[in-house]
Amino acid sequence: MPEPHLTDEMRRMESEYEPLLPIENKLIWYTFGIGLVLLVALVLVSWLLA
Amino acid sequence: MANAMQPAKYDAPNAVVQATQPGMSEDWLAVCIGLLVFILSLGLLSGFDLLGWAVTTSVWMVPAKALVPVAKSYAKLPAAISLLATYGFFLIVLLLGALAMRTSVKRFAIGVTAIFALSYACWFLGSWAYIAATPDKRQGFGINWSLNLTNESGFIIALLSGLIFGNFLPGVVQRFKEAIRPELYIKSAIVILGGFLGITALDQRQLASAMLFQGLCAIVCAYLIFWPIVYYVARRYFGFSREWAAPLASGISICGVSAAIATGSAIRARPVVPVMVSSLVVIFSVVELLILPFAAQHYLFSQPMVAGAWMGLAVKTDGAAVASGAITDALVRAKALAASGIHFQPNWTLGVATTVKVFIDIFIGVWAFVLAWVWSAKIERREGEKVRAGQIWQRFPKFILGYVATFLIVLALGALAPALVPKIKASMGEANVFRGIFFVMTFFAIGAVSNFRKLWQEGIAKLAAVYLLCLFGYIIWVGLLISWLFFHGMLPPVVKG
Repeated sequence: MPEPHLTDEMRRMESEYEPLLPIENKLIWYTFGIGLVLLVALVLVSWLLA
Repeated sequence: MANAMQPAKYDAPNAVVQATQPGMSEDWLAVCIGLLVFILSLGLLSGFDLLGWAVTTSVWMVPAKALVPVAKSYAKLPAAISLLATYGFFLIVLLLGALAMRTSVKRFAIGVTAIFALSYACWFLGSWAYIAATPDKRQGFGINWSLNLTNESGFIIALLSGLIFGNFLPGVVQRFKEAIRPELYIKSAIVILGGFLGITALDQRQLASAMLFQGLCAIVCAYLIFWPIVYYVARRYFGFSREWAAPLASGISICGVSAAIATGSAIRARPVVPVMVSSLVVIFSVVELLILPFAAQHYLFSQPMVAGAWMGLAVKTDGAAVASGAITDALVRAKALAASGIHFQPNWTLGVATTVKVFIDIFIGVWAFVLAWVWSAKIERREGEKVRAGQIWQRFPKFILGYVATFLIVLALGALAPALVPKIKASMGEANVFRGIFFVMTFFAIGAVSNFRKLWQEGIAKLAAVYLLCLFGYIIWVGLLISWLFFHGMLPPVVKG
């Protein structure tokens, strides 16, 4: 199967924009939130253990 | 440019090509090579010096005095024979590897020979006293100035030479393409490095445990903070489809080539997507490799562990990250000595960079599993398809097993038989010679596969823009912050006297 042209691929993405689905938004913001909470918690733990 | 999406053969990193080839994987091969060197080096414990003939390069003013066998027991061996024997060892081991990978042995032999010769020449040049000597050693060489780059500057020279070959002499690179395998070389080196770091950690067990714990904490946070923002930026502001945004986010934020490939297959992206992302990953990791260690030397010389963690978190691909850890180790120690008179013990910065990178690699499989589940169950529902936990093992980077094994074996040997520690140190010193050569070959190979002309390829601008923005506008700075939070104040031991 011939591979698509990169420029065509980019143009196609512009014309057929896939909007962010609610599940993607959940994935993004839940992951980020968990990351921030863990960062604060683990920094505190490591400072306490030090 | 009719086939811009079809990369020229040497444009696709060998790690990508390898994923579709039969035969042993680079991962398992690296474990075998690393363990072979490690086990041979342990011969010293039974009184058999099996690797003492390997050549080592000291900082030099007189070229004839630069090369010597690593062990005193082989002191009478002429340097040329020692060098030839070392080359012969690499050739035989790597040719056996080529057979196991079912690749062309003849082309591999030519490639290994060329890469070994060019890389070693760079290493040799980088050890010239005017380039390498630290201020405390200048008097001994009878010189009053030097670039103070230590003999690790050979790595930078190898990288620049590789870049020249990759970008100006692509025809030559094509001839030894079979052997341009930075991932194989660095993974073999990392397996050997495990034992070397084990012996370093043996003297400082508390510091080593703290380093492991902080490294684990740092990468858990980095994973979860990097990936979603890069994915969001690619989708929301650059309009990338899910198929492109997910491998791109993994490539930029996690661990370059391996993460892009794992994510690509997790979400069932077309193979060309991770290939294109991987090409960009390699190019930008070279840019980072040329900039970040010097930035770390300038601003973080008083915090070598922060500098090491930063390299592990910010520089993508195993090769470039561990390589930048090695350069940073040398540069930071040289600057700390020159500016503050503090002589930090070597290898701790490299150790942190490697630890962080190894943890990142371990989690690639877990993250790919999570994405595979989200995609198959929620985004592109595929009836009757189940995501198996076995996929985590399938995507687990196996060379890490070798690294952990050599690290633990040395720790256990040292703890159970303290009388053997001097011999273990000597044997790891011999293994370290091979690690150094694998490192310099990695640098050359990274340069050779970094085809900067790709940036001029039609249609690549948008991919490069999101990469540039996220890497230099977000990942590097958040990576620095996380490194600072977890490693600030943790200092390597100081060499006395």
